Amino acid sequence: MIRELRILPPLAIARFGAAATPMDNYDAVVDPEQPLGYRALRPAETLVVDTDSGEITRTFVPGRLSFTEDGQVRPVAPFVEVWALTDAGQLEPLTTAMLEAEQATASDVRWQVQVANHKAARRTGDADDRIAADTREFADHARHALDGTCANFWPGKRIPFGHVQYIKPTAAHPEIRLRFTPGAGHVYGASRTRPAAGRPADPNLTDVVYDGRRGGWLGHVDGAGGPALTVPAGIYRGDVDGRSVGYLDDGCDGLVRVRLAIAGRVLSAYGRVGAGPPAYAPDALPIRSVADELEQALFGPTVQASEATLERVEEIVRRALESVRLMNTPAMNRVGDSMAGHDARRPRPGRRPEPIMAPSLVDDIALENLHQSLLAALRSDTAPWFGDVLRDPEEIGDLSDRGRRKMPAMMRGADGGHLTLTRRQIDLIRTLVRGPVFPEDDGAA
Amino acid sequence: MRSRISRHLRNVPGAPPAADRALDEGLTTAPGVGEPALPPPELNGRDYAIFLLRLAAEIEHGLMVQYLFTAYSLGGPTVPEGRQADVRAWQETILGIAKEEMAHFVTVENLLTALSGPLNFNREEFPHDTVLYPFGFKLQPASLGSLAAYICAESPAEWGVPEEQEIKERAEVGTGAPVNRVGNLYAELIRILRDPTLVPSSAFDAGSVAFQASWDEWGRGYREGARGREAMSSLPQLPAPELLIIEVGSRAAALDAIEQVGEQGEGLEPGTENESHFQRFLAIYRGMKELGDGTGVRPLATNPTTDLEGPDVGPAEDPNTTTPIVNEEANLWAHLFNVRYRKLLVNLSHAFELSDDPGDRAALGPRGTLIHRTFSEMYNLRAIAGQIVVLPIDGAQPDGPLAGPPFQIPHTLMLPPDESGRWRLHRDILDAADTMIDRLRSEGSAGGRDYLAALAQMDAIERDQLELLIAGSSRTPAGSGAPTP
Repeated sequence: MIRELRILPPLAIARFGAAATPMDNYDAVVDPEQPLGYRALRPAETLVVDTDSGEITRTFVPGRLSFTEDGQVRPVAPFVEVWALTDAGQLEPLTTAMLEAEQATASDVRWQVQVANHKAARRTGDADDRIAADTREFADHARHALDGTCANFWPGKRIPFGHVQYIKPTAAHPEIRLRFTPGAGHVYGASRTRPAAGRPADPNLTDVVYDGRRGGWLGHVDGAGGPALTVPAGIYRGDVDGRSVGYLDDGCDGLVRVRLAIAGRVLSAYGRVGAGPPAYAPDALPIRSVADELEQALFGPTVQASEATLERVEEIVRRALESVRLMNTPAMNRVGDSMAGHDARRPRPGRRPEPIMAPSLVDDIALENLHQSLLAALRSDTAPWFGDVLRDPEEIGDLSDRGRRKMPAMMRGADGGHLTLTRRQIDLIRTLVRGPVFPEDDGAA
Repeated sequence: MRSRISRHLRNVPGAPPAADRALDEGLTTAPGVGEPALPPPELNGRDYAIFLLRLAAEIEHGLMVQYLFTAYSLGGPTVPEGRQADVRAWQETILGIAKEEMAHFVTVENLLTALSGPLNFNREEFPHDTVLYPFGFKLQPASLGSLAAYICAESPAEWGVPEEQEIKERAEVGTGAPVNRVGNLYAELIRILRDPTLVPSSAFDAGSVAFQASWDEWGRGYREGARGREAMSSLPQLPAPELLIIEVGSRAAALDAIEQVGEQGEGLEPGTENESHFQRFLAIYRGMKELGDGTGVRPLATNPTTDLEGPDVGPAEDPNTTTPIVNEEANLWAHLFNVRYRKLLVNLSHAFELSDDPGDRAALGPRGTLIHRTFSEMYNLRAIAGQIVVLPIDGAQPDGPLAGPPFQIPHTLMLPPDESGRWRLHRDILDAADTMIDRLRSEGSAGGRDYLAALAQMDAIERDQLELLIAGSSRTPAGSGAPTP
């Protein structure tokens, strides 16, 4: 008997794309013969959905991966699945057979998806600047458009956030799934006069949707101070005076809800979806990601000794290498639009404008090689030794030479200070630093 | 003993004739205040200072290597239950001291650069030359005897600790002679450099700072010069190493550098407990005495060498001879270790040949790359040592002594005079490393295979870069070459 429902994964991130066919599935794996190189992208089992029927018509493993189709980026369109917690305490995929056992069918599963883009409203403080889409409840297998509407849009205008489709279960694929296909990744504009038909004059824009006479987004300037400001402020497209030119995008995030009425009970669950830009470096991962934050939130800031493995430290170092590989380190070390410049512009405590690192050390290739050598040495199974060069969260405002040179270096955290690893990542590394240096040390006499 | 060195030490004013006591006793009988300080015959003051600094470089280099070996010996299955953290702390303390010796070594090279003297990245290896060293160079695992020798070498003139006699006697038993204090050499250097009649102010080249190592480039997040206490982040019960990498452009800076380096070794000031090398080794000595001599230590062979038939080879139980690494796999790893050790020293010495031009800080050159690669080789030495110390030195005696990192000095550390030749030397060393890596991958056991694959790829990447540097460099000495004497 089904006791509860879950949507898994509880957070699914789509990536923009204007191509008609979603991106095929793949894994990013380390090549054992080229352990210091880029991760290899290995094609994986991919589900093909018939857009009309909503059925999965076949699965296949692509012979090669292509991120574009007819010159357009292929969107990453994730599936979310409904899982059931049964009386046996098991969490398992909800299938048509399980529904039948409850005298229900796939039609009894009802979905609702609500997504929004609050970027402009977040800055103007005007609720009428919220752009939102709501499918209302549905149980069919047609595509449901996620049309973003807004009180301050010109009449009839919308921003397409993509669509969702309840995948029709079949004998071969009896699981209960929904697919979220994001928007194309377009930019939309604002005007104070009714937009003319056809393509806007601004080549960046797909359409002009925002009525600059009704809302304040066009021409908006972040005020000084205040808790609503991001740090740094002004991270929107502005004119020479810093006034918003009214750009909007089709990024969004929101909730997927599922409801099932069986035997006089109503079971429900929800998950989250979001859409962001394509991964233009799909063979690299950032040094600190949302997954690290979630892991810390779930399991706490410290690791158990049994969790502290060299493989996990190696993964962090690999991500450090992949991050530094994408950085223009000589430019980021110069005083300018960089952490080096940001440190000097801070009202308090501030510091003399200077590069962060000795300029002779920041050649990008040399730094990439240095991180590769770290990775190589870790593969000898000797313990990491670099626990002390990691920046503690309490040190993000340490603008001394030594403080600014801690790792990760030259990168900004979400709070405007220097980036740190999560406490949990730091604890993982330092736990191993404290342990035996050489691998065979079992310690016991 | 090298007569080209010892004859100058013999002639130090007031020095006794016994050559093996010259450094210790001769230098401490230096002239008093107001008494003229004469350099030895054949040398003027500047040359004598350079002579002493070159000795200091060898000593710091030698101590660093011996301390690393001893640190690597700590740990393993004989550590008593419940004492792992103590032994690990000793190991980290000695590794920290070795890092500080590396900084001393680099600062001494800075001093040589400031005096426009020839740099010295060399050192003696077994057989040792006692007059130059505080004690005979010996790679040996941690024991009360080896710790006693280190304590004596780093000791101040007045100890003020109850175990003084015991430790001196134990050190002498282990080394075969009383251990000389490193501090004497620095005291003599201060005496010479302080006197403008011996070393004129014009001898200090302020412009040479651009060629010197700086904390900015070499500090790697460790503490800069300011003395004080700060705990390690990972092992908070221990003070963090403090790297004294001091640039020298004047007499005052030279004297300050030498005083700081000397103080870090023997410091006895109130509040410096656990800070000077003397105090830190003493604490470990006391800890090991309480735990039991040699407990918690891997049985590494003394003076392990890749040379199976060298002139100094002796029985494994004789601490005054070398022990050949006859285990074939361990021997291959040891060869690879020696090659990477050479690579480290060549990277370091090459970095000193290239300037960090303060007038063009935006210019990126190979100096920074060489500095990073020097650190990369430190990581490699640690990784390879980890493979070596688990292998018996003789495969036929699996329960016998274990092999250890041999730290054998290459046939030369002189750099070719032009950049093209220097980059070719780097490539030659990679060739030698690749041979060892290939053999280990084909002939070795499973140990270290993942590391070898990564190292091979790392070397291939560097080789591609070297080909570009060789193609782009001329055969004439580079404009940013060595500082003008």
